[in-house]
Amino acid sequence: MKKYRSLAYLFILPAVVAMIFVHIVPMAWGIMISFRDLNVFNIRDWTTAPFVGLDNYKKGFNPVTTIGQRFWQSVYNNLVFGFFTISIGFVIAMGVALLLNQPFYGRTFVRGLILIPYITPDVVVYNFWRFIFQARIGIFNEMLLKLGIIQERVIWLVGSNTIWTAIIAAIWKGWPFGALILLAGLQTIPTELYEAAKIDGANWWQRFRYVTIPFLQPVIKTLMIMNILWNFHAYNQFRVLFGDDPGRYAEVPSTLIMREAFNFFRYGLGSALSVILMLIMLAITLIYLSLFKVRVVE
Amino acid sequence: MKRSLILLTVVSLLMLAATAGATEIDFWAMTNAPSDQHYAWMNEKAAEFEAETGIKVNFEEIGWGEIMTRAANAIITGEGAHVFQLGTTQNPYFAGTGGLVEIDIDEFGGADSFFEANLESTTLNGKNYGIPWFAETRALFYNTEMLKKAGVEPPNTYLELVEVGQKIVEVYGKGTAIATAGTNAWDLIHNWAIILWAYGGDMLNPDNTAAAFNSEAGVKAMNYWVNLVATGLADEACAEYNQPQADAAFINGDAAMCFMGPWNIAGIEADNPDLPYDIVQPPAGPFGRASFSGGSNLVIRSNASKDEIKAAKAWVEFLLRPDILADYTKNLSKFLPSNKEALEDPYYETGVWATFVKTLGYATAYPPLVEWGEIEGTVQTNFGNVLADYVDGKYDQNSAQNYLDTAAAEVNEILGN
Repeated sequence: MKKYRSLAYLFILPAVVAMIFVHIVPMAWGIMISFRDLNVFNIRDWTTAPFVGLDNYKKGFNPVTTIGQRFWQSVYNNLVFGFFTISIGFVIAMGVALLLNQPFYGRTFVRGLILIPYITPDVVVYNFWRFIFQARIGIFNEMLLKLGIIQERVIWLVGSNTIWTAIIAAIWKGWPFGALILLAGLQTIPTELYEAAKIDGANWWQRFRYVTIPFLQPVIKTLMIMNILWNFHAYNQFRVLFGDDPGRYAEVPSTLIMREAFNFFRYGLGSALSVILMLIMLAITLIYLSLFKVRVVE
Repeated sequence: MKRSLILLTVVSLLMLAATAGATEIDFWAMTNAPSDQHYAWMNEKAAEFEAETGIKVNFEEIGWGEIMTRAANAIITGEGAHVFQLGTTQNPYFAGTGGLVEIDIDEFGGADSFFEANLESTTLNGKNYGIPWFAETRALFYNTEMLKKAGVEPPNTYLELVEVGQKIVEVYGKGTAIATAGTNAWDLIHNWAIILWAYGGDMLNPDNTAAAFNSEAGVKAMNYWVNLVATGLADEACAEYNQPQADAAFINGDAAMCFMGPWNIAGIEADNPDLPYDIVQPPAGPFGRASFSGGSNLVIRSNASKDEIKAAKAWVEFLLRPDILADYTKNLSKFLPSNKEALEDPYYETGVWATFVKTLGYATAYPPLVEWGEIEGTVQTNFGNVLADYVDGKYDQNSAQNYLDTAAAEVNEILGN
């Protein structure tokens, strides 16, 4: 038994070593520099960067400072973005998964087709959406004008509409992944259960509520936690749609951190903001896991 | 004997390799011209230079969006270009890192060879850390046909610009008078600064220790800019434009006027050569005319070896030869040479170039400060907020003052006040 265990350790050793160098060391370095005033003037010898204790954290946490205001606004924007993107994306994904679980001619082809938005690179997709949302020549305004929903062209890429622009584009890009995962879950549900429920007189909604949902629960929980974590990593859609500085309505932590660390080269502050974001994500994950008791393998 | 011969051959080969290594340098320049033509020109000149000096130059084109990160990485790691282009506002920043070679400007023809504003942009605390390569400034481009049909002449003052714009709108419709850049444009601050200076304001106080742009002139300039959209002279969509989108609106003939730079001439020649256009100096404000003086400098990485630095200096000298520089600016990049001798080419006394040269004579450069990038970013963010408020219908007569005060407070903090 001991021999097998040693062998097991040996097998996972390369992965552990890779993880230490790829994840743990950079994270530890990131945490370390978050306590220093590291910038482009002292990064050539980062050990000379002055130790500033919790100053960077205070700036990030304190809603009175400019950076603190921006950070908390960006967290709020991220929560709004996440709430709508995840919930609406889930409803669409579930609907499509249920449809694709029905037998029909060309089903395999359609299953492949729905993945196109998801597999297309972010830069391409969000650049398309940027064109679509352009006020003067974008087809989104054209469509809304023709349908009579708006009377005048709306500016989607500046101001308070920007967050909705990002939400619409991100839902379009993200739902196929959810649909794929849910479809995989649906296919594990034995058809006999549906037949038995039908014989017992259950209608469509009751079959969905009492057979489908309970069986999909582990998949849904895992999908949700992945979506929540990815949501806090959101960067590409905001960067491509709105540029380096998405403005206060569409600023998310990743764009703010990126700008502070790599446009203004305030590496120490950028690291502190990243650590704060990591702690927020950790807290959300722990709350989620304890509330819903997610198990990766059911 | 045979062993000695082999040893001698090996030593000779090693020495040759070492020499070859020292005479090979990497050079980064930004997208100053269409890429295929740019690479062709640079590779041709690099071959000429190598034939002359034995130094091999490897050219790479870098986007304006990437240069800050790439240059920082090169300076930090010692990997990357030995000599590279920096924008005039970026030069002092990198000089402050200690990552650039201090330049004795006399090695490159002396201070009198260059335009003052461009030379100043290479300095930090009175020392030079770059060599001016080319200059640029902004002027008012106008569509001659649209102005003629509207029965107006190009404007001389900012008040006239509004009157001319109104006539154009009467003929061509709302939003056709002028194309302006919006929240996505880095040039937004330059375009605003042109009006700020013409209204008697300045970005910082005389000793560059505190913000001064939140003055009455700053507010007037910002209100003027926003009102171009609010009064229908510029299209509402301008609020979301980046500079190339604003340029394209003019080049496509959708707008009658636009503040643009000399490099846009290449764009017009490529995209709409039949465009009937001309240029005039920027309109005058109550304090006269003003324009933004920009351009690019060539800098040398200080953590390169002595031989590489020597080779890099030779390459810069080569690029600055009046005939080579004039060829680069005239036929390729459409910028203005920063070297006065190169600018003496009769070509620059003709047509639109005469206007650009005249404008460059009084154009203002931003103060050469290490903190300038952060200052520019702060003003840009708050200008973006002004436009966002306008789009959301929240813009009122206090908006510009409030946001400029916010920006000024941040800038003062950056400057250590």
